[in-house]
Amino acid sequence: MTPEVYSDNMSFTYEHADTPALMNIMLSIPRGQCVVLCGASGCGKTTYSRVVNGLAPQFFHGAFAGSQRTCGLNPAVIPIDRLTPLVGSVFQNPKTQYFNANVTDELAFPAENIGLPADEIDRRVNAVAERFGVTGLLGRSIFHLSGGQKQRIAMAAACMLDPRLVVLDEPTSNLDQAAIADMRVLIEAMKARGLTIVITEHRLAWLNGVADRYVVFDGGRIARQYEADEFLALSPGCIAAMGLRALDLGPYRRRIAELETRSGAQRGLSPNFDGRTTPGSSQLGDEASSGMQSPEPLLSTRDLVIGYRGLDDFTRHIPDLEFHAGDIIGLMGHNGCGKTTLVRTLTGLAKPISGSVTLNGRTAKPRDLTHAGFLVMQDVNYQLFSDSVREELMIGLDETDPAVLAQANRVLVDLDLARFADRHPMSLSGGQKQRVAIGSALMCGKELIILDEPTSGLDRYHMEQVGELLRGLAAQGKTILVVTHDEELAAGWCTRIVNLERTFAA
Amino acid sequence: MRSSFSTESVTSDSRTPLQPPAATTAPGAPAFSADTAGLPSARSGSSRRSGLADRTLDPRTKLFLLLTANLMLFFHVTLTTQIIMVVLFLVPLTAAGRWRLTANFAVLYAVLTALGLLDPEALGLPWLHVVSALAVGATMMLPCFMTGAYAFTTTSASAFICAMRRMRVPETVVIPCVVVIRFFPTIAEDYRQIRNAMALRGIASGGWGLVRHPAQSLEYILIPLLMNATTVAQDLSVAALTKGLGREGEHTSRTLIRLRAMDWLAMVAVVIPLILDIAGVIR
Repeated sequence: MTPEVYSDNMSFTYEHADTPALMNIMLSIPRGQCVVLCGASGCGKTTYSRVVNGLAPQFFHGAFAGSQRTCGLNPAVIPIDRLTPLVGSVFQNPKTQYFNANVTDELAFPAENIGLPADEIDRRVNAVAERFGVTGLLGRSIFHLSGGQKQRIAMAAACMLDPRLVVLDEPTSNLDQAAIADMRVLIEAMKARGLTIVITEHRLAWLNGVADRYVVFDGGRIARQYEADEFLALSPGCIAAMGLRALDLGPYRRRIAELETRSGAQRGLSPNFDGRTTPGSSQLGDEASSGMQSPEPLLSTRDLVIGYRGLDDFTRHIPDLEFHAGDIIGLMGHNGCGKTTLVRTLTGLAKPISGSVTLNGRTAKPRDLTHAGFLVMQDVNYQLFSDSVREELMIGLDETDPAVLAQANRVLVDLDLARFADRHPMSLSGGQKQRVAIGSALMCGKELIILDEPTSGLDRYHMEQVGELLRGLAAQGKTILVVTHDEELAAGWCTRIVNLERTFAA
Repeated sequence: MRSSFSTESVTSDSRTPLQPPAATTAPGAPAFSADTAGLPSARSGSSRRSGLADRTLDPRTKLFLLLTANLMLFFHVTLTTQIIMVVLFLVPLTAAGRWRLTANFAVLYAVLTALGLLDPEALGLPWLHVVSALAVGATMMLPCFMTGAYAFTTTSASAFICAMRRMRVPETVVIPCVVVIRFFPTIAEDYRQIRNAMALRGIASGGWGLVRHPAQSLEYILIPLLMNATTVAQDLSVAALTKGLGREGEHTSRTLIRLRAMDWLAMVAVVIPLILDIAGVIR
């Protein structure tokens, strides 16, 4: 049987790029296999997925060499819409891959484009909606769905035309743990139907037992291919050495649980916060983090109730929290448990429904909180306003003041941005943009720095870099709050974990 | 082929039974219902609106209203005609359930018209000329915004695609138009995010911040908005391309659109004052 995806000595160089994104790729994926493409950022795995579904070179132009077959067709030369009924694609960002505002229209969209009759489209929409468990979402506005639901719709839409191959490009990078578990169920179901599945992914643990084969990319080449059992038998150290994320999240989850109980015991939070206290866990924490902390918390909350009024009311009681200088607090819990609202409340962007937030011992108004805190948004593009990194740091400050200039230079060096001082912020990579945003917070003298999902879609190296950055900021006496689903980041770098989900049950 | 389909409305929302999601989503997905509750994002109220969706006009009629609004600008109609037309334009917006939008437009139009009618000389305030001239200019533009808002906020992308294809508009025009329609809701959400980011940086924060430094504020809002728009546009194009939007050959639609009596009535109603004005009957 001919393989579903076949590359023979295939190379691809993006237009305006100096180095090839893919070099001499030899890969053959037989029908019905689930193959994971992994490797560090920029290793070529996403480019390979684009070559498979024809987006490169047809949409992302560049020089293509060698030969490529996808479902028996050459995606580099045939019109890309010949692949539409054969290949379904799911992309990274749940927010920007649906075209219609309405779930039903979105599912119908590929079928309409292919010219199916209306009653057949309706039949398929219902059948696919049932298969993917989105029947209850039909007719609803996609804008108001959660990331997990959006990604589920994207999967369903990709399967509307009964494709033979599904290509997923980092489908989980914006999802929480529960949504990832759902994604796994969907992939298993697709595999059971005999579909060939190609997934590029940083987070590998959720694919254990589903993937048949792992292809490790490095610098545009295939470094090595592993059968699933062979790959899963590799030691954690070996996986880390390849720059890959952990295969077994067990130790990380245990560490997170430990950090959670520790926060209850050590900080003397309200008893209903977390009843369980593991013996011995408090001593563990004391040596690690109490040395540098001032007794007076920077920020504390008292009987705080957060939420918003409006179409869908949401209120939530928050256990009393204390944030000290030098803390790195991980804020975890599934989507919808109020993490974003809590962050908005702590930065003064939203008013608390009741209760109070104390800043440096005094009850703070939202305006004071906005002044003292800073939020590095998940989409950092929203918060970069200038046309050079240096100017970005000095917005709102007196650029002629030598003290300000000296401070800007110091921040540039501290954050490893000195080389980019005159570059346009938008020309930087995601991690560099994040650092510019943090730099602007340091320039404004912010004490509390909150990061919203700073490691979504990052490989191990960049995730660790973010972790080190957090540690560096904490060492400068800043208080850090990280909203994250990333167990590896939370376990490795947070000094405490607050899980809003669990406090809900209490 | 299309007659087999019971839905008469532009969007099918109103006929689709809206079951509680938790009851129907797959096993292992209980998190979903909780998810929606915590979504702090744009909440323009389309779920509430959906029940009224079938009270909107055909997309082609909406485009016709937009065209007449532009013709008004072109022919420089008299104030009487303008007021009649504005009232006519606001009727379908009300019928579509967009009360707040209608009220905002009505109040804005009334205020600007009143400003335009002021006589600065009689009041002894010559600088008011600037204000009333600007007000008159704005009142002339407003009908276009009204009809535009009506066309774009009450129509689904799929209904627009269907309407344009029926009008035999070339695909090279259809696709960019659809992308633009898809963009509007994201801009509102982007704007909120950017304003939050500005507040955190202490740039033009507070209610009067924008007014104090209008040019600078505009730059700070527009740059991230545009930068974000380019990435969104690329993502959307890629998604649409893999779903066959650009495919040659016949495209079908499960969305039924039909010009009904109400549509013809609306078109005739807005054309009459315009013709009477051009003919010089209304002065």
